[in-house]
Amino acid sequence: MPVSPAHADTATPRLQVQRLTKRFGALVANDAVSLTVMPGELHCLLGENGAGKSTLSSCLYGLYRPDEGDIHVDGKEMRFASPADAIAAGIGMVHQHFVLVPTFTVLENIIVGTGSGWRLPAAEARPKIEAICRRLSLALDLDAEVGDLSVGQQQWVEIVKALYLGARLLILDEPTAVLTPQESALLFASLRNMLADGLSIILISHKMNEVMQADRVTVLRRGHVVGSVRTAESSRHELTTMMVGRALSAIEAGERSHDGTTILSVKNVSMRDERGVSLLSDVSLDFHAGEILGLAGIAGNGQRELFEAICGLRPIDAGEIMLEGQSLNHRNPHEIYRMGVGHVPEDRFKDGLVPDFSIAENLVLGDHREKPWRQGLVLATGRLREAADEAIRNFSIACNGAEAIVRRLSGGNAQKVILARELARASRVLLCNQPTRGLDVGVIEYVHRQILEKRDAGAAILLASEELEDLIALCDRIAVIFRGEILAVLPGRQADIAEIGRLMAGGTDMQAGDQDGDRNGARNGDRGMSN
Amino acid sequence: MAITAVMGYRIERRSTRSPFAWALALVLAGACALLVCAGLFIAAGADPWQAFAALLKGGLGSKRAIAETMVKATPLILTGLACTIAFRARLWNIGAEGQVFAGAMFAYWCQSALGDAPAPVQIAMIVIGALIGGALLGGLAGILKARFQVDEVISTVMLNYIIVYALSLLLQNGPWTEAGSFFEQTAMVPDAAQLPVILAKTRLHLGFLFALVAAAVVHVMLLRSSLGYEIRAAGSNLRALEFQGVKITRLIIVVMAISGAVAGLAGAFEVYGVQHRLKSGTLGGLGYTGIIIAILGQLRPIGVVAAALVFGVLLNGATLMQIKSGVPSALIYAVEAIILMFFLIAWAASEFRLRRLHHVE
Repeated sequence: MPVSPAHADTATPRLQVQRLTKRFGALVANDAVSLTVMPGELHCLLGENGAGKSTLSSCLYGLYRPDEGDIHVDGKEMRFASPADAIAAGIGMVHQHFVLVPTFTVLENIIVGTGSGWRLPAAEARPKIEAICRRLSLALDLDAEVGDLSVGQQQWVEIVKALYLGARLLILDEPTAVLTPQESALLFASLRNMLADGLSIILISHKMNEVMQADRVTVLRRGHVVGSVRTAESSRHELTTMMVGRALSAIEAGERSHDGTTILSVKNVSMRDERGVSLLSDVSLDFHAGEILGLAGIAGNGQRELFEAICGLRPIDAGEIMLEGQSLNHRNPHEIYRMGVGHVPEDRFKDGLVPDFSIAENLVLGDHREKPWRQGLVLATGRLREAADEAIRNFSIACNGAEAIVRRLSGGNAQKVILARELARASRVLLCNQPTRGLDVGVIEYVHRQILEKRDAGAAILLASEELEDLIALCDRIAVIFRGEILAVLPGRQADIAEIGRLMAGGTDMQAGDQDGDRNGARNGDRGMSN
Repeated sequence: MAITAVMGYRIERRSTRSPFAWALALVLAGACALLVCAGLFIAAGADPWQAFAALLKGGLGSKRAIAETMVKATPLILTGLACTIAFRARLWNIGAEGQVFAGAMFAYWCQSALGDAPAPVQIAMIVIGALIGGALLGGLAGILKARFQVDEVISTVMLNYIIVYALSLLLQNGPWTEAGSFFEQTAMVPDAAQLPVILAKTRLHLGFLFALVAAAVVHVMLLRSSLGYEIRAAGSNLRALEFQGVKITRLIIVVMAISGAVAGLAGAFEVYGVQHRLKSGTLGGLGYTGIIIAILGQLRPIGVVAAALVFGVLLNGATLMQIKSGVPSALIYAVEAIILMFFLIAWAASEFRLRRLHHVE
C-alpha cells in the first residue's frame, strides 16, 4: 500500500483548494471554497443536502471542472480533465452508490481498467492487493464474485481498489449509510490505521457521531465555507448550528398519551417470495393508540415486506392483520388507506410520488377518483389547487406553487408532499418507512415533530429508521427485525444502542474490534451478519 | 457531467430544456432533413428544387389539394392519437396497424346488417362498430399483458398479421367477396352508408371533423379526467400508482382498448369516407405511420394533428412530384423516415449545450 513518509507536521498539505468556484447556470454550487487537508488527516466535509459537498468532491475527483480557483496536491497545481487524471494524482473516491461489476470477481473489479492493451495484469496485481489487505487485516476473498458479497464487503472492495490505484487522498461519500453500527465501528478503526500510514481522508457525512471522530471539520452551507474547525475545539452543538445556520432544539418526545388500546395487530404473519424464500416469519406485533413503535434492522431484513403486508401491497401466506377488529387480509391498498391508514414508503420518488406530476396532482394520488377531487368525469382542478396551496403553507414546502413539478423538488420538499398526503389519511395508523433518509437536519427535525403530533393525536405509528439514535429518542417501544423475524421488542427510551446493534446482526455476540465480523458474514446478497 | 471536451469546448447536459434551444434544434434539423432529401432526389435523377416545388404544390397548391391533404391526414390523426394514448401510459401499442383493420372489419360487419336504414343510423353504426372492433383487438393485447404478462410489443405485432390475413381470408372467395370480382374487395357500400362530403367538389368527408373532435376529446381526457390522470401517472411512475391500490391490470386493458378503438375509427373512415368498399390493400401502413405521427406530435393531441397534416402534404404531394420531376412517389416514405430521424436527433440534442471552458490548457 502506498505509504507517504510525510506526516501531519510537515508543511506541505496533501490537498489545498483555493477559492474554488463552480457554477451550474445561475446556481453557484461552490462559491470561493477553500480547503486544506494535511497528510494523515481525517477531514470531514459537513453540510446539508445542496450545500455543495458533492460538487466539491466531484471537482476534486475530476468529474467536474471548476470555473475558478485552483487545486494543489502535495504542493503541485493540478487541473483534472477526468477522473483518470485525479487517480493519477493520487486521489481515490468511494461513491455512495458503488461502481462495481457484480458478475466480476473482487480481483477483476480492482484491476479493471488498469492494464494496457488487451491483458489484465491479474498475476502482478494479486500479491500487491493481498499486501494491502494484510496491512488492513482484511480477509477479502479476491476470487469471490462481487455480487455475492455483503454491502459492507463491497465497500471494502472500493476502498482497496482506491488504495491499489495509489490513492494518497481518499474521499468517502457517506460510507456508513449502508453499514450496521458494528460495521461502522470497524470501518473507522481501519481508517485510523490508514491515517497512521500517512493517507489523507475526506469524509462526507452528516452523522454527528462520525463527524466528531474527524480531526478537522469544514462546514459548507449554500456553497460557502462557513468555517473550518478542529473537532477537539468544537462541539456537536456548534457544528450543527454552523451547518443549519440556526440552533436546533433537541426533540423532546415527552410522555406518550395513549390509553393502551390496540388499534392494529399483526398476528403470526409469514410471507415467502416466489422461490419459497422466507421474507417474514411468524411476525406478531401490536400497535397501540398514541404510541410510536420503532422498527430497527439492517436494510433488507423484511422491513419493507412488513410495511407492504400491512398496506395490502403484498399478500401474506399465513397469519392475520387486524385493524380495530376488522381483518385487512384480502383488502386492497386503497381500501386500507380509506380505513385511516397512512403510508410513507421507503423510496419516496419510486414508491410515493409521480415525478412528472405537479404537487397538486401528487397530493390526491390514490384519491383522485374520490369525491371532493372529482367532478363527474374530470378532476376538480380548482379544488386540487386550493388543497395544494394549503398543504404548501402548512408544511412550508419550498416550491413555485401548486403546479410545481415534483421531480424538481429537493428530497426534503418531496417528502413533505408525501407527508401532507399521508398524514391527512392517517387518522388511525401511520406507517413510516425510513421517513428521514437522506434529508437535512432541519427537515428531519420537522418530520419528527409531525410524527410526534400524530402520536399525540392518538394514532398508532410504526417507524422504521436506520438512525438508531432517532428511534431511541422518539419511540415508546423498539422492535428489532432480522431475516424477517422479530427478535425482540425493547422499551424505547431506555434502549441500549449496542444491544439493538447486536440484535440487528442476528443476536450473535460480537466483541468490539472483532475484525472478521463483517467479512465472514453474509452470503448471496444476505446483508445480515452471522458468524 | 462532462462527456467530452474538444478544443476548449465541452458538451454538457442541461438541467432544464430551454425552449430557445429546442426551437433552434428544430430549425437546424429541418434544414438537415431538407439537405438529405435533396441528396436523395438528386440520386433519383431529379432536380431537387423542382421536386420540392411539386411536392408543396401537390399538397397545398389549391383548394382541392388542401382538401385532399386533409383526407390523407384523417386516418393518421386517428392512429397518431391511438398511439399517443397508449404511449402516454408507457404501453407500447404497435398494434394500431391491426386495430385499423379490426375497426374497419367490425364496422363493415355491423353496417352490412343494416340494409336500407337511413344515413344517420348507418353512420352511427359505422362509428360504434369501428370503436368496438378496434377496442376488441387492442383490449385482447391488453388482457394478454395484464393477465399473462405477454409483452405488448410482441402480441400487438403478431395480432397485426393475424387480422390482416383474416381479412384476406374473408375477401378471397370468402363471404365478403364482391360477386364476380377478381379483386380482394367487397362490393361498394350503399350511398346512405358513405360518409358525407363536407366540401363540394373534393373528397373531404365527415371523418376529418370526427378526427378533430377525437383529438379534442383525447386532449381533455388525458389532461383533465381521472382516467387521463392514471394514464399519465402510469407513464411517469407505475409503481406509485400501484402503491395507491389502483388496479394496474384493469388500467392496462382499458388503455389498450381505448387506444384500439381510436385506431379502429381510422379504418372505418377510410372504408366509408374514401374507398367506399373494404379492400385489403388500402388500409396497410396507417397504423405504423401513426407511431411516427405520435412521436412527432410529442404525444400531444394538438401536435398529432399538426404532424398528421404535414404528412398529409407529403403523401398528397408525392403524386405531383412523381409526375413533374420523376421522383418515384414511394420515395416519400424515405422522406418521412428522414424527418423522424432528424426530429429525434433535435430532441436529444436540445438536452445538451456546448460550454466554453474557462481554463485553457
